Amino acid sequence: MSYLKDNIEGAQYLLMGNEAIVRGALEAGVKVAAGYPGTPSSEIIESLSKVGKEMDIYVEWSVNEKVAMEVAAAGSFAGLRSLCAMKQNGVNVASDFLLHLAASGTRGGMVLIPCDDPGALSSVNEGESRYFAKLVEIPLLEPGDFQEAKDMTKWAFELSEELRQIVMLRSVTRMSHASGNVEFGKLPASHVHAEFKYDGFILDPMEGIMISAPVGYRHAQQQEKLKKARELFEDCAFNTYNGPDKPELLIITSSACTLYSREAISMLGLKDRVGLLKLGTTWPLPPKLLKKYLSMTDRIMIVEEVLPFLEENVKILAAEMAPEIGVKTFYGKNDGKIPMVGELNPDIVVNALAQTLGIDYKAMPDEYANKAQGVAMAGTPSRELTFCPGCPHRASFWSIHNALELDGRKGFVCGDIGCYTMAILPCGFSSLKTSHSMGSGSGLAGGFGKLGGFGFDQPILSVCGDSTFFHTGIPALVNAVHHESNFTMVILDNSGTAMTGFQPHPGLKVNALGDEAPSIDIAEVCRSMGARVEVRDPFDLEETRKTINQLIEDKQGVKVLILRQICALSPEKKAEKKYDMTIDEKICLGENCGCNRVCTRIFRCPGLVWDKEKEVTRIDEVICTGCGVCADICPAGAIKKSSVLKEVA
Amino acid sequence: MSVFGPNELLEDVFQKDLCIGCGACTYLCPYFRSYRGKTAMLFPCTLDQGRCWAYCPKVEVDLDDLSQRFFHRPYDKDPLGFHGSVKISRAGKQVGTGSFQAGGTVSALMSFALNKGYIDAAVLTDKDGILPVPRLVTDPDDVLKCSSSKYTASPTLSALNQAIKEGHSRIGVVATPCQALAIAKMRSNPMSDEDFTDPVGLVVGLFCTWAIDFRAFDAFISKRIDVNKVTKVDIPPPPAEIMEIYTDSGKVEIPLDEIRKLVPNSCSYCIDMSAEFSDISVGVLEGRPDMNTIIVRTKRGQNIVDEAEKEGFLVLDNLPKENLEHLMWAANNKKKRALIKAKEDGLINTSQEDKRSYLRVRPETVEEIIS
Repeated sequence: MSYLKDNIEGAQYLLMGNEAIVRGALEAGVKVAAGYPGTPSSEIIESLSKVGKEMDIYVEWSVNEKVAMEVAAAGSFAGLRSLCAMKQNGVNVASDFLLHLAASGTRGGMVLIPCDDPGALSSVNEGESRYFAKLVEIPLLEPGDFQEAKDMTKWAFELSEELRQIVMLRSVTRMSHASGNVEFGKLPASHVHAEFKYDGFILDPMEGIMISAPVGYRHAQQQEKLKKARELFEDCAFNTYNGPDKPELLIITSSACTLYSREAISMLGLKDRVGLLKLGTTWPLPPKLLKKYLSMTDRIMIVEEVLPFLEENVKILAAEMAPEIGVKTFYGKNDGKIPMVGELNPDIVVNALAQTLGIDYKAMPDEYANKAQGVAMAGTPSRELTFCPGCPHRASFWSIHNALELDGRKGFVCGDIGCYTMAILPCGFSSLKTSHSMGSGSGLAGGFGKLGGFGFDQPILSVCGDSTFFHTGIPALVNAVHHESNFTMVILDNSGTAMTGFQPHPGLKVNALGDEAPSIDIAEVCRSMGARVEVRDPFDLEETRKTINQLIEDKQGVKVLILRQICALSPEKKAEKKYDMTIDEKICLGENCGCNRVCTRIFRCPGLVWDKEKEVTRIDEVICTGCGVCADICPAGAIKKSSVLKEVA
Repeated sequence: MSVFGPNELLEDVFQKDLCIGCGACTYLCPYFRSYRGKTAMLFPCTLDQGRCWAYCPKVEVDLDDLSQRFFHRPYDKDPLGFHGSVKISRAGKQVGTGSFQAGGTVSALMSFALNKGYIDAAVLTDKDGILPVPRLVTDPDDVLKCSSSKYTASPTLSALNQAIKEGHSRIGVVATPCQALAIAKMRSNPMSDEDFTDPVGLVVGLFCTWAIDFRAFDAFISKRIDVNKVTKVDIPPPPAEIMEIYTDSGKVEIPLDEIRKLVPNSCSYCIDMSAEFSDISVGVLEGRPDMNTIIVRTKRGQNIVDEAEKEGFLVLDNLPKENLEHLMWAANNKKKRALIKAKEDGLINTSQEDKRSYLRVRPETVEEIIS
């Protein structure tokens, strides 16, 4: 039972930002929701999937973000309110459709919710989705707190319907994943009928055909919509000002930076000296509103994360208005007051403010910072980024690494996006030598595989997760097979989108709503393309290693090796142990010649612990998942596995 | 002499391209493995001392020390090393049939030794297509399955390490000169292990002028024939100057000059043609494809040869004088060439503090051989 569908108007709930967004969508009567998992966005579709059936909402985890946006758009075209959610770089994947969708326009209210990850806490990029709003000419909203996240989402659907245009509502990690109080509104009655109308006048936005052409006409119409949005934004309640009438300095900000700015002003006691203009509608900027606040002072600081999106757009307006409002001095990214990389926090804003206003204050004195660092280093156990105990990836990369070392031709692995990206680190025996976007490992490998004519003779592997395979791995494989590239694609099939929380994908027999669904057999897909396909259990180290060696010696075409073993954390596994692991301390060679702690020095499953006093390995029974793999890497046979006996009821 | 570890093995042997892939360092630990004729280090090891370095026949081989240990005298200029009788031989009637090269003496000796309990396991070299495969054998009947010569370098000693791990204590090994050298180093207990007992019961050495790099050979002949169909490879005794490759569809002859290009660099520093650190050495006999040359070096070697002859496993005869002279001449040539090259390349008798050597032997012995 999800509290998100409680129909108690005015009740207060502590909600995560993503949940607040979902509640807003529910209050708006959303009927179609699709997305692809990606931190920090995943909880949006996940929360909707939990209430979907009961509230009569179609929810799906799509194969990728582009398809998700298309699925959501279909709902809109049929008159329903729809949303699609994704992480920042998901918008890149969807952007081609987005460009055309912005031109054709929408019908039922449609909201695109990208959740950006400044500082790349859970990403391998610091991508900006805001620029897409400007690039494809659609309105952009950014909630500044949790109540707003809910209210603004609801309003975004209304705005979309008013403009007949998709609206982007952009969140960030600290908005999506932090929590705050949210007051609930009413849930609408749920009776809608879906129909796609197409036999009206061809250019009719509600009954014509949905297409981006004639381009000149549609593009002009699109800009009209943007102009209308700009007018609506002039009086939008999500744009607020706090501060004196004539501040010494005006901060303009949006999103989570609102909270940092507010805190910084308070910490420095600048309530009477600094004004805070918080914008909820960040594209297109409402010029009259900006004019009003820019006129208050000559010193403007823009506080935002990553790229100077707001800063650039405000500066353009200020330049245009200069004859009326005078010349302004700007502080922000361009003068280095606010960093252009990484997340912001209150301290960064405090320092920027103190420096700008000549206040002698340091958010964190160096001495304190050093001391804190020292305490942290001394007091915390060193825990490197690593695969979980019992993770199939550790076993897979063990075999991949060993196969490549034995082969000795400087072979390498092109990586992809998933937990297995960590194989750039010692936990994956540093096997990965490239990693970019979803599916690109196999695309790159396919390219490397065509360089033979230039003397390239290194064996090439790519690794690709099962969900990644469906997302964008397939086109790379098709391309490579057709062009007779020579490489081995290793599909690390752990039965789910594991890194983001086990969302289903088309390879599984279940969908987002929990219904049974036809599954697509990865091996059969690959075989039908004409690739040589092998399937192995990565926990069988020797067989896996042998197979990899055979495949990389096979110089003919594309080979696919599916390493199938369920994620150790998978809910389906229910922490079930296959083996009880024990150590025979008398046999353990420890640091002696013949072993030198291969299990705790190289293999490094967190379930294996080096006992410094006894100079033997111990099993941490609390976290050991009983996969049994370490028994096979122990050269002395000191690690013993015994099958866990199932109790008969 | 100080013993070093895996990192020095990389530095002294791997990086100098001296590794012949004998297998001495493999299967002792999780780090060194052999694959398709090449030895690989899978993961870094941090130990200062290790058996991998200590057993390697390509680093700090102190010939005088080893000779003293096994033959109770320093190494000298004799082209055939320390030895007793040199004769000719072939397998006797008690030996079953196998696809022997020449007289089948090696198979005869090993099956006899296993049969009569002189050894409890035999470390041999089998083949899979053209790939040499180390084999640990305990049934005398399995010895013959491994007969016939392999000309590519083989990690045979990985099977010796396996045999020791399995607890065999009188192991017989058929070894090339470099492998016999590694066994000698291993038997001298370089790690000063208090519990050490010599696990080797018999070393039958093979004459060898050079071996071929497996991967280079595989690439070379794959272009000419289907390697999966190779049934036998032979290099008939001089003056033939060819390698014969037999397949289902006949014989292919390849001039030895082409094959010599596939010999690893490491072999050019090897001073040993007759496997001097073995109990018994066996090779071909020029002009007599049905017989072998046999050199007996140790008491236990002599004992086994005598008993094998008595029991009908081995037939012996005298070696014609001109054959012995030619054998000595060839063996001496190999020594000379190798010592001159090792000297030129600074791989012999370097000052200990300065850098480690491949080989150590009294300088006067070196001069005696070279001159």
